[in-house]
Amino acid sequence: MNGLATPFTGILISILVYLIGVWLFKKSRGFFLFTPLLAGMVLGIIILILIGKYMNVSTITAYKSFYKPGGDIIFWFLNPATVAFAIPLYRRNDVFKKYWVDVLLTLFIGGFISLFGIHMISKLFGLSRVSIASMLPQGATTAVAMPIAKSIGGDPAVTAMVCILNAVIIYALAEFLIKIFKLNRASKVGIGLGLGTSGHTIGSAKAVQLGSVQGAMASVAVVVIALVMDILVPIYARLFM
Amino acid sequence: MDNKDKKTPLLVQMGIFAAILFVSQIISSLFPPTFVVPAPLIGMIILYLLLLTHVVKLSQVENLGDSLIGLISFLFIPSGIQLAGSLKLIQNEGVKDVVVTVFATIILLVVITYCGAFFIKIHRGLEKNMDKRGEQK
Repeated sequence: MNGLATPFTGILISILVYLIGVWLFKKSRGFFLFTPLLAGMVLGIIILILIGKYMNVSTITAYKSFYKPGGDIIFWFLNPATVAFAIPLYRRNDVFKKYWVDVLLTLFIGGFISLFGIHMISKLFGLSRVSIASMLPQGATTAVAMPIAKSIGGDPAVTAMVCILNAVIIYALAEFLIKIFKLNRASKVGIGLGLGTSGHTIGSAKAVQLGSVQGAMASVAVVVIALVMDILVPIYARLFM
Repeated sequence: MDNKDKKTPLLVQMGIFAAILFVSQIISSLFPPTFVVPAPLIGMIILYLLLLTHVVKLSQVENLGDSLIGLISFLFIPSGIQLAGSLKLIQNEGVKDVVVTVFATIILLVVITYCGAFFIKIHRGLEKNMDKRGEQK
């Protein structure tokens, strides 16, 4: 079996579980729990647990030796994919030119209100101080959120998990949430910013599907909210925690 | 403008992305560890500026760029499966964390969306007022 500990195994598992996810999603006529990302991720984890059981090693070991080498290669492509979001932004540059002040105000003030909301909901569930500190920076993308969490006494591993969950939740539930919170009645610019902030790059991909204005605004949001959180979270933590 | 049939070769498109990421990585390393700005975000700003200044034409990046954006949910699969390494973390105390994350995601989406709608409403209101004043004068 150790001969299978090459990148090809991880790449094959990724493609296979994703395609099964796509198939399930189609067969179930778009049931939200079967969105390809969520279904694929759960299937992939199950496969690794089974490999671990079969080989008598822990799931983490199975993950590290059979999945990670290939997974890292696919993961690397998120770098150019993130850069590519400059394209939907450039296509609707007229919107950004017109509303850039509104965008900044929204992300600073909305970001602050969200921090307060996340802080309160964490307290309500009785999370520890470390967990709260890991929750706060989640508006920013993973790479930015992790060091912020660390600097205010959180656990970067929890923050990474939270940021991934953000994306998974938005990818599965965006349409549903837009419907029940009547976000459609709010402006297109608002929805774009909301999706980019809550779902990071996955939220932006969702927003691109909704329309060019939403896509452009979500792309802006991913960059700007990261900088906003870089600035706001340490200040918020010092003042209120 | 450009001849649409003349597609930029894939390797050239990849070269543009690679060059942008290379420069972004250098810029990113200049930021202090307390104020992290990751290379891909800097890269996005650079590509945006290059497009604005017409140094890079849309046709030179849009094929590859659009494909990458279309693939993004697949590219997230490794991040999702990475959670297999955190199963212990979730078992111990993480269920609460997961529930709070669901609420937090909804808070971010709803608060930011309505905040955006609010500021745009004010913006449009101000514009209308300006127009009216302009007419009165």
